[in-house]
Amino acid sequence: MGEVSAGGKGERPAALAIGVPTARVAPRWWRSIAVRRFVFGYSLLTPAVLYVGLLVGVPFLFSLYLALSDASVGAPVARFVGIDNLLAAVESSTFRVALRNSLVFTLGAGIAKSILGTTLAFLLMQRFRGRKVVRALLVMPFTIPIAVSALGWKWMLDSQFSVINWALGRLHLIGAYGTDGWPVWLGQPALALASVMFVNVWRSFPFGAIVLMAGLTSVPPEVIDAAKVDGANFLQRLRQVIVPMIAPILLVGGLFDTVFTLSDISIVYLLTNGGPNGATEILPTLAYRVGIQAGALGRGAAISLFLFPLLLPAMVLLLRNLRRREW
Amino acid sequence: MPRSARRRAVRKHVLIYAGLAPFLVLAVFPILWMAITAIKQEADLYRMDVVPFWFNLPPTLKNFALLFWRTSYADWIVNTMSVSFWVSVITILTAVPAGYALARLKLPGAENLGIGIFMTYLVPPIILFLPLARVVSELGLQDSWWSLVVVYPTFTIPFCTWLLMGFFKTVPFEIEEAAQVDGCGQLGALLRVVLPVSWPGLVTAVIFSFTLSMQDFLYSLAFISVSDQKPVPLGVATELIRGDVYFWGSLMAGALLVGVPVAIVYNLFLDKFISGITGAAIK
Amino acid sequence: MARVTRREFMRFSGTVVAGASLATMLDARQAPAQIRGTTLRMLKWSHFVPAYDQWFDKFAQEWGEKNGVRVLVDHIPHLELPARYAAEFAAGAGHDLIYFVGQILTGHYYRNLVDMTDVAGRLAKKYGGWMPSATSAAQVGGTWYGIPDFFIAIPILWRKDLFDQHGLAAPDTWEKFRTAARTLKPTGHPTGIQFSHCNDANHNWRAVLYCFGAREADPSGREVLLDSKETREALRFAKALYEEGMTPEVFSWDDAADNRYLASGVACCIHDAISAYRTTEDTNPEVFRNTFVLPEAAGPGGERRNVGEPNVWAIWKFSKNVAAAKEFVEYVGDHQKEAMTASRGYNLPFLQGQYQKPMPVIGTDPKLHTLQDIGKITSFFGYPGPMSPPAQEVLTSFIIPDMFTRVARGQDIEATVGWGMGEIRRIYAKHQAG
Repeated sequence: MGEVSAGGKGERPAALAIGVPTARVAPRWWRSIAVRRFVFGYSLLTPAVLYVGLLVGVPFLFSLYLALSDASVGAPVARFVGIDNLLAAVESSTFRVALRNSLVFTLGAGIAKSILGTTLAFLLMQRFRGRKVVRALLVMPFTIPIAVSALGWKWMLDSQFSVINWALGRLHLIGAYGTDGWPVWLGQPALALASVMFVNVWRSFPFGAIVLMAGLTSVPPEVIDAAKVDGANFLQRLRQVIVPMIAPILLVGGLFDTVFTLSDISIVYLLTNGGPNGATEILPTLAYRVGIQAGALGRGAAISLFLFPLLLPAMVLLLRNLRRREW
Repeated sequence: MPRSARRRAVRKHVLIYAGLAPFLVLAVFPILWMAITAIKQEADLYRMDVVPFWFNLPPTLKNFALLFWRTSYADWIVNTMSVSFWVSVITILTAVPAGYALARLKLPGAENLGIGIFMTYLVPPIILFLPLARVVSELGLQDSWWSLVVVYPTFTIPFCTWLLMGFFKTVPFEIEEAAQVDGCGQLGALLRVVLPVSWPGLVTAVIFSFTLSMQDFLYSLAFISVSDQKPVPLGVATELIRGDVYFWGSLMAGALLVGVPVAIVYNLFLDKFISGITGAAIK
Repeated sequence: MARVTRREFMRFSGTVVAGASLATMLDARQAPAQIRGTTLRMLKWSHFVPAYDQWFDKFAQEWGEKNGVRVLVDHIPHLELPARYAAEFAAGAGHDLIYFVGQILTGHYYRNLVDMTDVAGRLAKKYGGWMPSATSAAQVGGTWYGIPDFFIAIPILWRKDLFDQHGLAAPDTWEKFRTAARTLKPTGHPTGIQFSHCNDANHNWRAVLYCFGAREADPSGREVLLDSKETREALRFAKALYEEGMTPEVFSWDDAADNRYLASGVACCIHDAISAYRTTEDTNPEVFRNTFVLPEAAGPGGERRNVGEPNVWAIWKFSKNVAAAKEFVEYVGDHQKEAMTASRGYNLPFLQGQYQKPMPVIGTDPKLHTLQDIGKITSFFGYPGPMSPPAQEVLTSFIIPDMFTRVARGQDIEATVGWGMGEIRRIYAKHQAG
């Protein structure tokens, strides 16, 4: 912030210097270049700020109010209870398990997605026969509505009719149906959590690849050529030239996906509804169940906003650092 | 020389295909399975004694017929496409100027505004849909797909603004300055110079707006209960599951009919902007 | 147009129900003239017997035509209803007539629901009074804020052929149920009850608890009574039943999985609504012929308690057509017999006079006729307390299925009861503080 406004001030004298000698009347401040740029800039920003501010900012204050009150679905005008809802959440072991699962889910799936997405992006940038078909096939998990593909997965992971088990069974990798060697994907705690994470990864890794490819396209070839001339090998070019240049896009994509994964309920809701015994419960499904289905809005809001105080400063720092970078 | 070049090309292809194979299995197997399910007869689904990848009863188009003749699927497609289109339009019209202003014009306070825009993601939709229901109702849009056109930009604008910021930053300042010297105003420079150079970013933004609009379930569930106003995901998931009866074939058919064409269209776009860059970046 | 196509869809998806003759019905009250020319929008769930929805939509249209009311019926899956209601309430607009199923939100919304005591009184007078256990689904503080429509019973469905082959007695006690499962599992026919986060798990394990003599809350609904010897016995029993008679599949099951288990011919017996019986009838006639139904198994003390799933009508205060909504609800109450027929015996009435034998469908099917008395042993979640908001939250949070799951997976019973009681008491305390 400080640097930016300093830069702004720095330009003003120059503008005046141009304006003063030519103007016979008193200099009109609104015609100075800096001011014109501000007016122009802020009017460009206004639609987005207004849209998001009105439709999310104001409702957000409402959710904060909910989280600090004992509101229920039928009685939103409620008593202020401070951080009681947060305390109630922390006391409950169901909540603590959901918090842990959320973190495992988001981090684990995030790491898997970035590895797969990066590898895929570099593979898809190559020239090879059939790449158009291959690319079309690979973006499909991302274009099919998740509410339906999750149901498809539910069917593929069914305890009785799972096609995956059928295939593994034919390869003699698992035992027969009805024995302990038959995996029940959504029924064994560790497998269930792995399965819902897997579906999240399956659905989102093409997203990572597209973001990365888009980012790579914005690196001017001259820059890379220059690095090549300087004798940098592939890994050096990657680390010293490409990654710094596409860092903003990567970071925004990564943050976006992280936040989306943290708040997405559809996969868990459709596949396991948090079961068995909370093994796949994550914060958004718990918040939805407590706040909406059981009607305790205040406690639901508190659960869903629980990570907010942690995420907010982390994101501000990351985004600020990102914007500051100059190249 | 030609022979060794050829051998290198073959080796490269083998490597690339080997690298892609696991991705293809991962991405395509479920979709292939969905496609097979979509043209299978119901009774064929519940048999594990025979190869599930093939048809033990003759394939059928019954599941597609059910979609089109017994549900409002045609309406759902039109609704989904309309919602996605308008959301993309609104997103581009707001995120492009905002992204440009944040990336290029050193505005006091802009940084915080930009971060504020992104922060809106931290507001969970499972709570946000309640106040938005009020907004939708005040606008008279309850039970109309236009309600989604109003609501979806709340999650497409922030992402696309920041995505475009990244793209705008990579445009060299000199290009823009040259345009301004040539007599374009700032707006002219944006429209005539910066946008054309950043079109991979624009395409990416449109792709994401479009797809994200097709991924929502909760908002459409909360705002739309009338059959012919539903978008595809909501319609399929609420009308093809009846109690404990899942119309698996039609569910899968309904998902593929929107997912596959969109994937093909994306690919055309992707192809354009990827072929625009040289392999030099990677080789 | 959309509604026409949906009706066609129903026709496609379920067997066609012969329209029960209107002549056998009691004369409906003449609807008041002021509702003519109005529109009535209602929201219902997608019934587990698709043919019922088909019948219901037609039934509602016919009522509308007769009374000059434009009737619009929307259906969504029952689990998604609470989200829609929260949105409608926040918006202050939506459907004129709404419907609670499973998740009974009367206690949350009653301040914003229309008093329907008049309708409840008239129906009670005509049909011999309400079942005592029903009232808490629709009443708050003695006022009717809803009208119970029907409930779904969850009986035992068992394969007589398999039982007979091994000389096993009908599973009319939980001990016999367990013996049968233990005997038949090695032959490839285990039993299965969901140890997962789904509605059936909530109802089935509550039935086991209540049959073993455990009680969820005191009749006032203020005190939690689950910390008991009986609860521990029920948990111990469930662990044995799982180990001897089930496979780990049950940890992943949803509401439909046990239906498939029966219909595919694997299960020796299940504890589920008769939609499973109907699914089997439609898909596997051989198994269906050998599937029999018992209202409930008795616990060690001889107690039989079935846990039903209640369905309740309600009207928003912001409804634009309260008069027509009330008329329609009463009309539905007058036509429960047709509803029973259309639902293939799935819907059971809350009005005691409607239990006169023979009842439609279940009175004429020799395998189902014992269900005519199930109303006498039916209770609901929270028993013997009311279906209050805390009891609802305990239900929605799947604490009781989770307790059973923990024990089945080998956790200590004392520790599990301690955990469950902690979670449940915390919920009750939160609601009582408010």
